[in-house]
Amino acid sequence: MVIGTLRDDLPFAVVATVGNFIAFNFALRNVIDTGNITYPQYILPVVLVQVTFLGVLTAVDRAARDRQSDFGIQLRTLPISAAVPLMARMLYCIIRGVVVLLTTFATGYVFGFRMIGGPLCALAFCAITLLLTLAVSLGADAAGSRLGDSPIGKGGTASQVLLVPQMLLVILSTGMAPVESFPDWLHTFVEYQPVSQVTETLRGLASGHVMVGNLATTLAWCFGMLGLFGVAALRMQRRTT
Amino acid sequence: MPVIELEGVSKEFDGAVHALQGVSFSVPTGSVCGLLGPNGAGKTTVVKILSTLLRPTSGTATVAGYDIIRNPAQVRASIAMTGQFSALDWQLTGRENLVLFGRLRGMRRKDAQLRADALIGQFDMAHAADRRAQTYSGGMQRRINIAAALVVPPQVLFLDEPTTGLDPRSRRDVWDLVSSLSAQGVTVLLTTQYLEEADLLSDSVVVINEGRVIASGTAEELKRRVGFSYCAVSPVNPADLPQIFSAVSDLDDAQADYEANFVSVLASDGVATFAEVFRRVDRLGIELADISLRKPSLDEAFLHLTGSVNN
Repeated sequence: MVIGTLRDDLPFAVVATVGNFIAFNFALRNVIDTGNITYPQYILPVVLVQVTFLGVLTAVDRAARDRQSDFGIQLRTLPISAAVPLMARMLYCIIRGVVVLLTTFATGYVFGFRMIGGPLCALAFCAITLLLTLAVSLGADAAGSRLGDSPIGKGGTASQVLLVPQMLLVILSTGMAPVESFPDWLHTFVEYQPVSQVTETLRGLASGHVMVGNLATTLAWCFGMLGLFGVAALRMQRRTT
Repeated sequence: MPVIELEGVSKEFDGAVHALQGVSFSVPTGSVCGLLGPNGAGKTTVVKILSTLLRPTSGTATVAGYDIIRNPAQVRASIAMTGQFSALDWQLTGRENLVLFGRLRGMRRKDAQLRADALIGQFDMAHAADRRAQTYSGGMQRRINIAAALVVPPQVLFLDEPTTGLDPRSRRDVWDLVSSLSAQGVTVLLTTQYLEEADLLSDSVVVINEGRVIASGTAEELKRRVGFSYCAVSPVNPADLPQIFSAVSDLDDAQADYEANFVSVLASDGVATFAEVFRRVDRLGIELADISLRKPSLDEAFLHLTGSVNN
C-alpha cells in the first residue's frame, strides 16, 4: 500500500516543491519589500509550508480511500487498534514530509538560501517542520475519514474541502509579506495565526536567532493542533455508522 | 447458548432505505447457518452489522457472547469475515498478504510465515502464492481471502456469498472447506442466493427478503414446506377451474392459478396425495387436460417462500 502510494505520489511531492519555490521567487521578488535579508531566504519557510499543505491535502483522499476500500473495510473487522491504520497513513505523511524538506533545502540552496543558524538550528528547523506536517496531516486524515462514507468522499474530491482554508492561511500570513502590508483589521489575525508564527520561527532558525515568544507560540500551535487533530483522527477512524 | 443471536435488528440508511426490519434469529455453536435471500434482501447488511462495521438502528445482537455495540473489540477478536469483494493488499503477494493478516492478528513473524505456508499448502495455492495479488483470478482471490480469514482459527466465521462468481470446481472446494470447518467446531454464517448451497451446507437456514426474515428452520423443514412435490391439475375448460379448486381446497397448500389454468396441491404424502386428488376430481366428471405429480424447481420453491416475481 505504502509502496504504491510512494510511486504515484512522491514525484509530485518533488515537482510541486521545486515549482512552488520558483513561482514564489520570481513572481513576487520585487513586489514585496523584505528588508535586509535576501528574498529566497525570506520566502523559503512559506514555500515549505505551502508545499506541505498541498501534500497534506492528499492525505484527505488517502483517508477517504481507506474508509471505502475493501482492504480498509476488512481492517476494521480485525482485532487491531484504530491507531494502527492511522499510524500507517501518518508514517507515509512523514516520509513525504522528509522528501519535501530535503527538496526544499536543495532548491533553496540553488537559489541562495543558507542555513546560517548552524546544525542545532537546522535540526530544530526540520523538527518543527515535521511536527507541523504531522499535526496538519492528522487534521486532514480526520476530515478524510469523516467524509469517506459520504458522496463527497466516494467521488474522490474530498481533498478540495480543505483547499480554500489552507490557501487563505498561507496568503493571509507574514510568510510572504510583512504584517504592515495587510489592512489594519487583519493585523491580529495575520500576526498570530499558525502559518505566520511557524514561518517566523523557521526564518529565525535559518538565520540563527529566534525570539522566545515566537518560538513558544509556534510550539503551542503545533502541539495544540497535534493533540486536537490527533484525537479527531482517531475518533473518525473508529467511527461506525 | 447460541453463539450468534440477533433480536429485532433494524437498519435504516439516511432515514429512507429500510435495509433490515426487525430481524431476529440465532445460530447454535458449531453449526453452519445459511442466510438465504435474493439480491438486496439485506444479507450483507446483516453480516456487516455482526462484524461491527455497521451499527443497527435498533435491536440487539451478540456474537460469541459479546454485544456488538458495547463490546465491539471483543467481537472482532472472536470473528473472521470474508466479504463479497477481495480485501487484499494488491501490491503484496498472496503469501505476504497471509503473513500480514497473521501479524495483524497478533502472531509473531515466524509463526505467521509458518502458518502462511500451511495455508498455501492446504488451499493448493503454491503455484501462485508468490505472485502479486493483482494478478490473481477471481477464484484465487476468493481462496486467499478465505485463507486470510483462517490464519488464526476464529470462533465464528462470516462468509458473504463465498461462491458467487466462482466456477463449479472452485465452488465445490469452498463447500468442502465449509464442511470441514464445521467439523472442527467453527461456527459459520454464510450468506447465499442459492437454495442448493444453503441446503447442502447448512444445519439451519434463515430465509430473508426485503429486510425481513420470512422463514427459518432446518433445510429439511423448509424443503418439506416448499421442496416437496406438488400435484397439478389442469382442466380442458378453464371455466371448470373453480370447481376443481373447491374440491381440493382442504388439502395442503391448495392454490389456484387462473392465468396458467391449473390448481396445485402440496403432495405431502407423495403419490397418496396424487391419488386422492385424482379421486376427487374424477368424481366431478370434469374433462382434464393434464394431471401430474411434479417436483418444483429450486427457483419455484424459493419464489414460493419469498412470494416475489422473478425472471
